[in-house]
Amino acid sequence: MIRQSWWKILAVVLLVYTFTAGMLVPLKPGIADVSPRALQAGTDVEMTITGYNSYYTKAKSDLRAWLKLKGDVVLKATSIEVVDDRTLKLVFKLPAYLPSDSKDDVCSLILDSPVDGAIVLPEGIALTQDSVNLAEGSKLWSVDKMDQLNAGPELTFPYRSVLYETIRNQYFHVPLWFAMLFLFIFSVGFSIRYLRKFDPDADQRALALTRAGFIFGLLGLVTGAIWAKFAWGAYWSWDVKQNMTAVALLIYAAYFILRGAFQDEEKKARLAAVYNIFAFAALIPLIFVIPRLTDSLHPGNGGNPAFGSDDLDNTMRMVFYPAGIGWTLLGFWIAAVSYRIDKLQNKLLDA
Amino acid sequence: MIRNRISLVCVLTLLVQQMAFAQQASGDFMRSIGRIYVVVAVILIIFFGIVLFLIYLDRKLTKLENQIKENE
Repeated sequence: MIRQSWWKILAVVLLVYTFTAGMLVPLKPGIADVSPRALQAGTDVEMTITGYNSYYTKAKSDLRAWLKLKGDVVLKATSIEVVDDRTLKLVFKLPAYLPSDSKDDVCSLILDSPVDGAIVLPEGIALTQDSVNLAEGSKLWSVDKMDQLNAGPELTFPYRSVLYETIRNQYFHVPLWFAMLFLFIFSVGFSIRYLRKFDPDADQRALALTRAGFIFGLLGLVTGAIWAKFAWGAYWSWDVKQNMTAVALLIYAAYFILRGAFQDEEKKARLAAVYNIFAFAALIPLIFVIPRLTDSLHPGNGGNPAFGSDDLDNTMRMVFYPAGIGWTLLGFWIAAVSYRIDKLQNKLLDA
Repeated sequence: MIRNRISLVCVLTLLVQQMAFAQQASGDFMRSIGRIYVVVAVILIIFFGIVLFLIYLDRKLTKLENQIKENE
């Protein structure tokens, strides 16, 4: 029994790991909000920082904060008051001039804590000055230095504004497409085998694999829409990848309708096999080529960078790859059960 | 068979509409605690999708069982 179903056990083990690690590993501490976001040179500013997953009370006096301009020019916060774990009040004494040759500039905020590590809020704060004095500004801003930044906690998922905890969908939404693709690849393999040998069993296997793949594709589309609502603002943004996968799934839906349209088993199997090859040939450009040619909200397409080190770091990879294998194996399990039921049904009909 | 499939699709769309409605009514809820409930919703959708497929297989098996009974 173990020899036959080791891959089902593997599927369960990998998915249990995916759910526990994927849900329990915390996000890296981050800065959720800063106010005010517009500062005037030559004034003293009290800035309120709202943290995410942060432990400010544990770090207390070891906390440090800087405003950072282009060219590694920094201004250190003169005082830091810890309100609670998620709230800080910083005071910056801004010099009269900025080290900048224009009246407006943007700066980043860097917060360093021995507990949470160094956190950067990139380019989130606007600076303005009434008159430009580059030489004086550079001198005033070159007093403070930023050094000995702490490393954060090791086992965390990246903190990304907008995404927040939904970055975990990487282990649930994305592997569905992985699984769908593998199921469709095997399905088209069995369709080719059917056309070469006219073995009805190969057609049955292709049908079961396509069915399982189609379910995973539908679930991928629906889960993607939910994620999109809270990351991009709408269930359906007419994003090129959303549209193209919907088209691909419609093509596959026609596969089942086509099968239902024929009474003669052999004719049904032959046409279904040919159609399946056509559908797969349409699927690959629809989901892999077209979205890369135009702009897409999806990572890795169009002008968007792929899930880089910020989105998919090594900690995420440790969950993401097992998740991909686990969901794929589950897909094959579903296909296998549905194939065995079909086989029984055919046997009963023949008898 | 086709009727079963159509009813399955109906149930699925109804479920999605329900969830969509529930979320519109409580967008703040979905955005609370770092939007973790978006992940919960995604996992629930996958779970219900697999359960619906299980129901489909169950019905198919029931028919087969009835057929075996008739044959006997």
